[in-house]
Amino acid sequence: MFPHSTILGPLFWIIMGALFVFMFYGAKIWFEDLSIKMNKRKWILVFVFFLILYGSIGGGFTLIGENEHRAGYYFMGIGGVVSIILGVGIWRYLLSSRTK
Amino acid sequence: MKKEKKTPDLNRRDFLKLGGLASAGISLAGIAGAGLAAGKDTDSYTGWERYTHGDGQFFNRKPFEVDQAPTIKKVAESRRINAAEQLFYRLRIAMPFMRGIKPQSEMPKELVDFYKEHPNDVEDMKAAFKAGQEQRKNWEKYKDRYIIADAWSEAHSKSMRDFPKRPVGKPEESDFKNVNPDTVKFKSPKHASGLMKKIAHSFGATLVGFCKLNPDFVYQGRLRGVGTTKFDVPEHWKNCIVVASPHEWDGLYANPTYGTSYDAYARECVIAGKLEIFLRHLGYSARAHVPGNSYDLAVVPIAIEAGLGELGRNSVVITPELGSNARLAVVTTDLDLEPDKPIDIGVKEFCEKCKICADQCPSGSISFDNKPTKVIRGYKRWYTEDTRCFGVWNSVAASHARGCRICIAVCPYSRKNNWIHTIAREVDPRDPTGIFSSALLAMQKGLFEYPEKAEEYLPPPNGNNKTYHNAPDWLKTEEWCDVDIDW
Ligand code: SF4
Ligand code: SF4
Repeated sequence: MFPHSTILGPLFWIIMGALFVFMFYGAKIWFEDLSIKMNKRKWILVFVFFLILYGSIGGGFTLIGENEHRAGYYFMGIGGVVSIILGVGIWRYLLSSRTK
Repeated sequence: MKKEKKTPDLNRRDFLKLGGLASAGISLAGIAGAGLAAGKDTDSYTGWERYTHGDGQFFNRKPFEVDQAPTIKKVAESRRINAAEQLFYRLRIAMPFMRGIKPQSEMPKELVDFYKEHPNDVEDMKAAFKAGQEQRKNWEKYKDRYIIADAWSEAHSKSMRDFPKRPVGKPEESDFKNVNPDTVKFKSPKHASGLMKKIAHSFGATLVGFCKLNPDFVYQGRLRGVGTTKFDVPEHWKNCIVVASPHEWDGLYANPTYGTSYDAYARECVIAGKLEIFLRHLGYSARAHVPGNSYDLAVVPIAIEAGLGELGRNSVVITPELGSNARLAVVTTDLDLEPDKPIDIGVKEFCEKCKICADQCPSGSISFDNKPTKVIRGYKRWYTEDTRCFGVWNSVAASHARGCRICIAVCPYSRKNNWIHTIAREVDPRDPTGIFSSALLAMQKGLFEYPEKAEEYLPPPNGNNKTYHNAPDWLKTEEWCDVDIDW
């Protein structure tokens, strides 16, 4: 985010790291409250969804940043659609495995 | 007593849940910002980034080393390159005949032989000269728009005229001029290579490689410092130090009108010239072969043998770090060096499928064949019609024939160094199925923007002075100077 700053750059990624931890910890509590019993396989699925969504946004903006606007929008569009389909699929799978 | 596991109380749970959601939103925005910054980051401009000391040569070639370069395969008896086969030399000697200043009957035999073998070249050359006259006439029309780009190019071009000093006399004399008689001995060829790599990087080379000189790639019939002559390859041209630097990336993408060849050429001259001085100071012979046209050998196959990259369909060396955006110089020396090996990163297979450069070439000089079909001086490889290409240099809206470079700019390998291209760069050569490269190519052709027709790069009436990408602000006259915009 701040590539030429020796302070803001590392600080940014420290904050991002903290946000990711917060996000996954929050997700864990959401799953508990929704009575979704998570296991390793389910977490991997969630992580894959996370990677595709963030990869699409990050990749799209990287391309826009290097003046490949059209490629950036398409990249985010295609990645976004894949993320939505995958997200809905994973969400339904998680809900179907709720403990009654 | 078993200690009860503490779970967060209700408020704390709600806080963590909402906080988690908020974190997801903020981190998503953060990733978007980080992506944008990565795309814009000038540290991704390989070869023009802030760091040096060889950090631009970041690709690990070791796993891809091969004994025989796949893109320049010797399939028949080979021979050296005749001077007339070299475009710029040919231009010089052909000009008086093309312009009718000298009668055809006086044409040197080497030129007559060349034209017998390449009959289309005469027409291509005449067309190029005619286009050049038009180009100079039209410059007045385009001057306001491109004068900063022209000045930038001129500054680079003029700076490389006097350095390195051109050889005078036989190589046995000129390559040893000012050589320290007290030769410094290296511990081993490996030590010599290690040091020369460091030194070349410190002089500004983005990529450095070494190889033994293959005599097939030395010109015949013309020798700098001597003139027209038949000569044996001098014994002291034992090893080659090959250096490569890229064009400035924003200028490159704004070709053909805003970019220049001379930015990278000027750097190559400085690097190779300094290497020449450095080697002689340590007591070794050295001769720099530098752009524009101060060579006694063909630099492209030598760079391939030195492991810098592979030959692309566009006849340019495609390197892992710079793609096609790699300009070359060679220093021949008698210093014993440990050679690098050629590499196979899958360029051959990629070019067979890709053809983007052929599609985008405004002169139609690049082959659309599925595989290389021509055997040139014993080597089966891709081939570009250089005189036809020269015709486009003489046609684009510039003050003079300053080149085109579209085939370098549009090549999918010519990408800067950010994470998204790193994935492509590292995964593709390791995928034996070719699926990854097909997917990349589908994305390249489907998502990225190219002019619909290659002629668009030409000035009216044939085109509309299109550039591959928009020019950066710093090359646009209208951003800085008081000009009437009529474009
Ligand atoms: S420089 Fe231009 S005209 Fe020449 S081969 Fe490349 S794209 Fe074609
Ligand atoms: S544009 Fe495609 S075909 Fe042309 S050199 Fe680059 S990879 Fe090869």
